[in-house]
Amino acid sequence: MFIKDTQDLEAEVALLESRLQDARAQLAASEYPSPPSSWTVKEQYNNSNNHKFTTSSRTSLHALLLLSDSALPLGSFAYSSGLESYLAHNKSSRKSPIASFHRFLKLSIASIASTSLPYVIAGYREPSTLDTLDNDLDASTPCIVAQRASIAQGRALIGVWERAFRVSFAAPGSRATGDVEAAIVAIDDLSNALKSCLEEDEDLGPKGHFAPLWGVVCRAMGLDLQQTAYVFIMNHAKAVLSAAVRAGVMGPYQAQNVLASQELQDTMMKRIAREWNTPVEEAGQVVPALDLWVGRHELLYSRIFNS
Amino acid sequence: MRKPTAPIPSPFESSIAKPGQGKVVLSLLPPNNPTLTTLTYKYPLKLVPRTGGFVPSPDSSVLSDTRPSNPVHLYLLTYGGGLLPGDHIEVSITLEPKTRMVVTTPQGSTKIFKTTPNNAGTTPNVIKGHRDQMPANIHISDMSQQSLDVKIGRQAALCYLPDPSVPFQHSRYAQVQIFTVDATAKGSDRSSLCVLDWVTQGRTSRGEDWNFHFWRGRNEVWAEDDQGKRRLLLRDSVILDDESGDLDATPVSNEIEVEDGAKDEVEDAAHDRNTALSKPADMPPQAPAGLTPLNIIAERTRPHGVVGTLILSGPVFEALGSFMLKQFQSQPRIGSRNWSDHAASSVPEPSLSHKGDVTWTAARVRAGFVLVKFGAKDFETAKHWLGGLIREEGSVIREFGEEALCCL
Repeated sequence: MFIKDTQDLEAEVALLESRLQDARAQLAASEYPSPPSSWTVKEQYNNSNNHKFTTSSRTSLHALLLLSDSALPLGSFAYSSGLESYLAHNKSSRKSPIASFHRFLKLSIASIASTSLPYVIAGYREPSTLDTLDNDLDASTPCIVAQRASIAQGRALIGVWERAFRVSFAAPGSRATGDVEAAIVAIDDLSNALKSCLEEDEDLGPKGHFAPLWGVVCRAMGLDLQQTAYVFIMNHAKAVLSAAVRAGVMGPYQAQNVLASQELQDTMMKRIAREWNTPVEEAGQVVPALDLWVGRHELLYSRIFNS
Repeated sequence: MRKPTAPIPSPFESSIAKPGQGKVVLSLLPPNNPTLTTLTYKYPLKLVPRTGGFVPSPDSSVLSDTRPSNPVHLYLLTYGGGLLPGDHIEVSITLEPKTRMVVTTPQGSTKIFKTTPNNAGTTPNVIKGHRDQMPANIHISDMSQQSLDVKIGRQAALCYLPDPSVPFQHSRYAQVQIFTVDATAKGSDRSSLCVLDWVTQGRTSRGEDWNFHFWRGRNEVWAEDDQGKRRLLLRDSVILDDESGDLDATPVSNEIEVEDGAKDEVEDAAHDRNTALSKPADMPPQAPAGLTPLNIIAERTRPHGVVGTLILSGPVFEALGSFMLKQFQSQPRIGSRNWSDHAASSVPEPSLSHKGDVTWTAARVRAGFVLVKFGAKDFETAKHWLGGLIREEGSVIREFGEEALCCL
C-alpha cells in the first residue's frame, strides 16, 4: 500500500514535470517567435514520453552530442577568450572574483554573439558562400590574438571533420539532400584551398575561421539551425568557464553550477535571439573593451592561455 | 599655391542635390596641380576646400621617386556643428591617382543631438531648428546617419583625423564609412589611408555617461580591381546599443524627457523593464553582485570614457604604422616584477603605465593594415595621447602639414 502510494506520487511528479516543461517551451516559443528555444531540443528527444524517436532524430542527436562534447579535439582549452587578460587588467576586482567573472562571462557571450554568430548562421544557411564568409570574418577580426584562436580552431574542426566525421556523415550512398551535399562540398573546397595555398600566397588567401565553418559542419552533420547556434554559444561559455577553473577563479563544481544556471541559459537565448537575423555586414563588436583586453593579452608577463 | 582652377559649380545647381549629400572629386592636372574637378554639397552639409596650406618638401616623401602632390584640405561641416535626428549626411569623395587629401571636422566634435522618440511625428519637436518633417517610421526617423564613401586611387593618400563623435543623451546615430582602394596597385603604388573613428561617452560636463540609445560606427576598406570586382580587406564595426529597442519594436516605451538629475531613475526603470521581460517571473533573482549595470553601454565600455580605432594602410603611413606597433610592443609587461634590488617589488599596474589612462592595442592585421584600438578615460586624454604619438613619429606632419592634426 505504502509502496503503491509512493509510486503514484512519483508518477504524478513526473507528469507535473513534463507539463512544466511544456509550459516553459511554450513560453520560450512565444517570447522568441522565430529564433530558438533550448527546450525544443529537450522536447524533441524526450522519447520516453512520446514515441516519435525516428532515425533522423537519432542521427541528429548523435551529431549534437559529438559536437557539444568537450573532448572534441578543437583545442578550445588553450584559449580563454580574453579572460586571462581581463583578470590582469581588472585587479581591483580581486576582492570579488566571482562577481567580476560573471561580468566577464556576460560580456564575452554578448561579444561572441554579436561578432561571430551571424557568421555561424550565414554559414549554415548558405554553405556555398563559405569562402566569402571566411574572407569577411578574417577582415573583421581586429586583433591577431583572436585571429589566431579562430583560425586554429577552424582548421582543427576541418581536421576532425575529415579524419573522423566525414566517413560517417558524408558516406557515399547516404541520403544526403541537396543542402547537406552543398555543405559537404563547401568544406571540401575550403579544405583544398587551404592545402593548396601553403603560405606562399600573400595573407589574403583562405584562412579557415571557426565561426562560418561551424555553421557549415553542423549543416553537414544534420543539426538544425537552433541547435547549431545554441551549441556554438554553449561551447564558448564552456570554454570560458573551463578557463576560469584553470585560472583559479572558481572551482569545478561552481563552474558547472554556472553552466547549468537559468541565468546563463537566459543570457544565451537572449543573445541568439538578438542576432538571429543579423546579416554578416551588420555584425560588430558590442563590447569595445573586450577587443582591448584580447589584444593586450600579448603584453601579459606570464600567461597560461593562448588568448 | 592658388585656388583650385576648375570652376566650382554652385551647390544649388547640382543634380544629385538631396539634402545632406555632397560629392568631391580631386584630380591631378598636369604638371602636378591638384584640382577639385567636382565639389557639390547641400544643406545641412557644407564642404569647404582649402589648397596651398601646406607644401611638402620634395625630399620629405617616402615615395622618393615621385614628388608628392600637394594635399588639399577639405573641411567637413554641418550647420550647427552636429547632426539632428533624421539628418542623413552622405559624402562621396574620389581621389584620383597621386592626389592627397586631408579631411578634418573643424567644429570641435560631431555632436549627435538627442532623439525624442515619442513625440517625433505628432507633436512639435522640442529641438530648435529641426530640419525635416519626420517620416512615419520612428526607427528611421529618429536616427542620425552619416555615410562617407571614399575612392582612393593608386599612389593617392587620404588623411582623415576628425573630431570624435559625441552622442548626446537619448540620441541614435549610425555611421558607415567605406574606403575603396585600387587592387591592382602593388608595393609603393598602393593607395594610402589613415582613418580615425572615435566616440565619447557624451557631454561629461552635463553628467552624460554613455547614456545614448544607439551609436554604430562601421569602417570598411575594399579593394576593387579594374573589372570592378570587390573584395573586403578590413571591416571595423563597433555597436553601442542600450538595447532599449529590443523588446518594444513599436514605440510604446514609457520613456519620458527628463532633466539630468533624474536620469538614473530612467535608467533604472529601463533596466527593470528589460530584466522583467527577459526573465520568467517564477525564477528567483540570481544576478550576482556587480551584475546589475545601470547602463548596458557603460558596462561594456567600462572604464573608458572614449573608445576609438585608428586604421593605417599604404606606403605613406607605413612608417607611422610601424611606429605604433613598436610603441605597443614596448609597453611594460602586465604583471611583471622588477627584480632589481632597490626597486619596489612590483611595477605599477598597467593602467598606470607611462601612457597614462589609455588602454590600447596595435596589430598588423592583414594586407599590411595596422589597426590601433584604444580606450581612455576621457576625450582630452585620448587626444593628447594620440596626437602626441603621431607628432612624435612625425611623418604625417611632414607629408600633410600640421593642419592634418588640427583635431588632435
